Amino acid sequence: MKRILCLTLTLGLLFAFTAGAKAEVLKIGSLSPLTGPYAADGNDIANGVRAAIKVIKDEGGIEGYEDIVVLAQDSACDPRQAMAAANKLINEGVPGVIGAYCSSATMPSSEALMEEDIIMITPASTNEKITERGLEYMFRMCGRDDDQSKAAVKFMTDHLDAKTIFIVDDKTTYSQGLADNVRKLAEEAGLEVIAHDHVNQGDKDFSAVLTKIKRANPDVFYMSLQNSSSGALMLIQARRAGIEAAIVAQDAVYHPQLIQNAKEAADGVYLTFGFIDEEKPAFKKFKDAYAEFGEPGAYSGYSYDAAYILLSAIKNAGTTDAAAVKAEIMKMDYEGATKHVKFMENGDSGSNYVIRVIKDGEYVNYWDPNTGELY
Amino acid sequence: MDYFLQQLINGLTLGGVYALVALGYTMVYGIIQLINFAHGEIFAAGGYMGVILLSFLAANGLMETSPWLCLGISLALAMGYCAMLAMAVEKVAYKPLRNSSRLSVLLSALGMSIFLQNGLMLTQGVYDKAYPIAFTSGGFDLGSLHINYMQVIILSLTAGLLIALNTLVFKTRIGRAMRATAQDKVMAALVGINSNRVIATTFAIGAGLAAAAGIMVGLYYGSVRYDMGFVPGIKAFAAAVLGGIGNITGAMIGGLIIGMVEIFAAAYIPHGGEYKDVFAFVILILVLYFMPTGIMGENVDDTRV
Repeated sequence: MKRILCLTLTLGLLFAFTAGAKAEVLKIGSLSPLTGPYAADGNDIANGVRAAIKVIKDEGGIEGYEDIVVLAQDSACDPRQAMAAANKLINEGVPGVIGAYCSSATMPSSEALMEEDIIMITPASTNEKITERGLEYMFRMCGRDDDQSKAAVKFMTDHLDAKTIFIVDDKTTYSQGLADNVRKLAEEAGLEVIAHDHVNQGDKDFSAVLTKIKRANPDVFYMSLQNSSSGALMLIQARRAGIEAAIVAQDAVYHPQLIQNAKEAADGVYLTFGFIDEEKPAFKKFKDAYAEFGEPGAYSGYSYDAAYILLSAIKNAGTTDAAAVKAEIMKMDYEGATKHVKFMENGDSGSNYVIRVIKDGEYVNYWDPNTGELY
Repeated sequence: MDYFLQQLINGLTLGGVYALVALGYTMVYGIIQLINFAHGEIFAAGGYMGVILLSFLAANGLMETSPWLCLGISLALAMGYCAMLAMAVEKVAYKPLRNSSRLSVLLSALGMSIFLQNGLMLTQGVYDKAYPIAFTSGGFDLGSLHINYMQVIILSLTAGLLIALNTLVFKTRIGRAMRATAQDKVMAALVGINSNRVIATTFAIGAGLAAAAGIMVGLYYGSVRYDMGFVPGIKAFAAAVLGGIGNITGAMIGGLIIGMVEIFAAAYIPHGGEYKDVFAFVILILVLYFMPTGIMGENVDDTRV
């Protein structure tokens, strides 16, 4: 009897507390792979959100809220786990989510969030289908793969004067989608696609396919992989196999870790990535805010801009109601750290892919597809 | 022809790594009929020890002057460390269950594997750790073949370790004790063999070989990650079964076959690269269908080490 009394009292107290604590804290979600092979990019995304929260707070915070926190969820780049994480964020009642990283995780989790009228801004998922599903509250900070593949193929034909190309991808929604696009555009541009081969995610040994490439001796080896870790492994082995082709990779391989792991094997590799002007004040402001997390990764800036936009929209709307916040987001015409942001009807913010090259252990801008000029 | 030979070297290298890891599975099974699922994690721990030691040596400038010495030191220390780690695992997770049902030992092994992998993740982080040397980049041309030093090191080290292991098992006292324990544990104990010590030694030797494989993989591929033990662990286990679990030569042959199948599937079959793991396991099933005890397995109840 006594025990039951104790139990009811404790439970009663618990409910009293939860009911008593009014929601004075604004929680926003972040969804990205925090563990596993994509952890580097995933943690960059969560940290980008943290940096944006810091800046918003320094600018006086949001009226009606004592504090702003991020609930960083792990999507593990896995559709099932992303769904579970999205449901957790729904239960927490977040008004908006920054994420996810892998297109294959963004697709299903966005469907769940949309049902609850929660805004989702992806900083990194480039698959064109993301914003072509007519989802009311889906936005994208980064570029799109159809544009990315255009820039890559244009570079191969106009600047490298390539005649033959060998494509390898690792069969994810993102990497295969991009490789298929490149293949289609390359054929249209009159390039000969020698082969389009696949490897598995998580493979370490690429010697067989690389020996194949060495034998085929293409002008360009297009490397479409889901992350910088496999990219580094492949580059080291490609150099070792003696491949002389120009290597063109893409934005998922783009990360400081790629250079750290592959070292000199990464030199001379071309990558398509969104143009970021690192000299402008908005970028410097982001970099200062991000300093406590180290060097910005590939998607830190996009994630920071996405979170900053979401929070500013909530601030301007004076409410977390999705329709009102969306109206504010659509109104925005803002000079972000990564790009000038003006959202289109479908939630895209436009692509601005350029070709960068790794030179002496640094990423440098190399070629502008719009003008066809070298930087 | 050159293409074939180049792929053959690729296959031998990969197979050599699998073989080194497979030896640990097969030896432990031969002695106590246990599939040590934590073995893949020992291999990963070896890779990490290697990167920690080599980075330390590189930071002290020893790498430029005598890289081979550094490699030797790191190899020896990592092998020693993993041997101790495996003995500790055996003491904690397997020894108390020695007379329990085989199912509970198996569960204990799975638990240990998860425990070790998470331990690696929490202490070493989730990012890849890059090996500090470009040992791996050098090579030489043999006709139109391009062979790099790393492949030579892996193959010669694998061969050397196998010879050493054979000598140990068939030419020394402890080897004789191991073979006796494998045949009949109770009888061996009755004639004065300390079976606890024999079992611990077996774990230590298998772990040492896995640690060597871990360092080789780190050097060859350039980096290590906390979850690197899982896939090679499964494949090495398959290799051990293919060769005949409990048989040392069989483990070597099995490792080489799995490595070769993977490489040649990717090299010669259209889209083979995607399905290479499938091919490897299809081969395994086929072999077991016709030879239930594996290639070198004997049709007797007591498997021999």
